[in-house]
Amino acid sequence: MTSDHHAAGTATLVIALFAGMAEIAGSRNVELPWGGGTVADARRLVRGLHPALAPLLDRSAFAVGSRYVGDDTPLVVGDDVAIIPPVSGG
Amino acid sequence: MMEHPAGRADGAQGGAVIQREPIDPAVLLAAVGDPAAGGNVLFVGTARGVTDGVITKSLAYEAHGPLARETLDVLRLQALARFSLTACRIVHRLGPVVAGEASVAIAVSAAHRREAFAAAEWLMERIKADVPIWKCEERDDGGRTWVHPVAAGRPGGAA
Repeated sequence: MTSDHHAAGTATLVIALFAGMAEIAGSRNVELPWGGGTVADARRLVRGLHPALAPLLDRSAFAVGSRYVGDDTPLVVGDDVAIIPPVSGG
Repeated sequence: MMEHPAGRADGAQGGAVIQREPIDPAVLLAAVGDPAAGGNVLFVGTARGVTDGVITKSLAYEAHGPLARETLDVLRLQALARFSLTACRIVHRLGPVVAGEASVAIAVSAAHRREAFAAAEWLMERIKADVPIWKCEERDDGGRTWVHPVAAGRPGGAA
């Protein structure tokens, strides 16, 4: 994956999915062709790839590593990105 | 767990834990004991066997581990400061939890009961809104449903 860092436009951003989102997508992650962009851009791309995720996606947050991030946050290939749908712990 | 928190700020490691093993509420309560505390509150959330009239056999919990631990740690530190707690412990289960078993437990101690009650309730509300843990209801008929509350806002609003 490290060589992808230098191939702008052809690199892949891997985003982890959880719970109902993983079930709907049929996968634990979604891979986006990534030439750079923000969380908002990633949202649009995920919606395009998996229209069935749209209702949950609108109510989901994004995280990088162990922090929640806002829609303006830039994402780069190699970031540990996850989509966090509405939670139901407790 | 015979530790004696030395000061008012309970900075102990392991104050917020996510685990597959069953929760022992007595251990949690003992851990927040402190001579400076006059109010100790233990909240235990259990896997409910009936939701909207449908029988749930068990719940399965999944988490974004690093983010859940970090968020729990932050909430715990916020609770310690906001309610002037003497000590605070939080445990949440992962994996299958049979109906009736504890899925989450919070123990807090404070000089007075009011702060302890308020802190336990505040922590549960924040946990249910912001900590990336999800439950899947597994029913008697074999069906299963991931729970993503419709009324909820985007997680992490307060993190």
